[in-house]
Amino acid sequence: MRAGFLLLGILFGFLLSRAGATHYDYYAQLFLLENFQLLWIISSAVLVGIVGNQILKKVNATSVWTHEKLTFSTKPIKKGLLVGSLLFGIGWGLAGSCPGTAPAMLGEGKLLALFVIFGIGIGTYIYGFAAVMRANQ
Amino acid sequence: MMTEEAIWVGWVGGLAIGLFALLQHTLSNKQLGCSLAYGNFCGLASKLDYFHQDEYKSLFNWRFWFIVGIPLGGFLSVITSPNGQWEVSLLMGETYERVMPDNDFFKILIVSFGGILMGIGARMSGGCTSGHVIVGCSLLNPASLIAGGLFFAGGLLVVQLLFFLFAGS
Repeated sequence: MRAGFLLLGILFGFLLSRAGATHYDYYAQLFLLENFQLLWIISSAVLVGIVGNQILKKVNATSVWTHEKLTFSTKPIKKGLLVGSLLFGIGWGLAGSCPGTAPAMLGEGKLLALFVIFGIGIGTYIYGFAAVMRANQ
Repeated sequence: MMTEEAIWVGWVGGLAIGLFALLQHTLSNKQLGCSLAYGNFCGLASKLDYFHQDEYKSLFNWRFWFIVGIPLGGFLSVITSPNGQWEVSLLMGETYERVMPDNDFFKILIVSFGGILMGIGARMSGGCTSGHVIVGCSLLNPASLIAGGLFFAGGLLVVQLLFFLFAGS
């Protein structure tokens, strides 16, 4: 299973790179409304997903590796959804990359992505630390 | 740097990534998502309870191996590209370089800060571009549709502001 997920990660990184989702400039150009490469990637991926998920649900698909019926879990509306999403978006625009594409960019030799990755780790830690502090109050 | 590599037309790349998310789900019954994996590394680096319970009971779970694979995929993509040459670079590209400081140290600070905001924001909202947008929006999940819209709004806000203030300086 480890090897399976490692291979999936390799494939995902490869596809992100070939799609051009690993170009910092496509992020800035999207938010300047100058070039919609990223929007095309995202919207066609979502469209394929909408159709695919309907089909997988209809045929009661089971997992190839685990043989259990596929579960379609959806994320809840968390209290921090609005603020958190905006913060994420601001970071997205500043870093020209995201948690999935930054590692792929690092593999391509784009060294700034390494600092994005460290940043995401630090941000994740700050959230966890704040959660513990709140729980102890 | 990477000007010569093969890049697919946007919708073709999106088609491939959309199919990939379905493939991963069908194979493993695990839905695509990247941001939670960063907490695995927090758990490896610290004893904080938060990173050793719930999602993080096992730090070497599927998310760990998945995110370790991603850089290898990026590397493979460059070296198998017709004219691609693997090079290490601190450049961001023509558009960002118009507003980013020339000083590498300050540039590193800015993108690190961007990363910190994404780390906090992803945990507050419950996901990132992969989990909320690619997977969540394709399930038409309300939280993910809101998150996706606000991700975009935040990016628009900061990039428009950056270029308003610093472009041409």
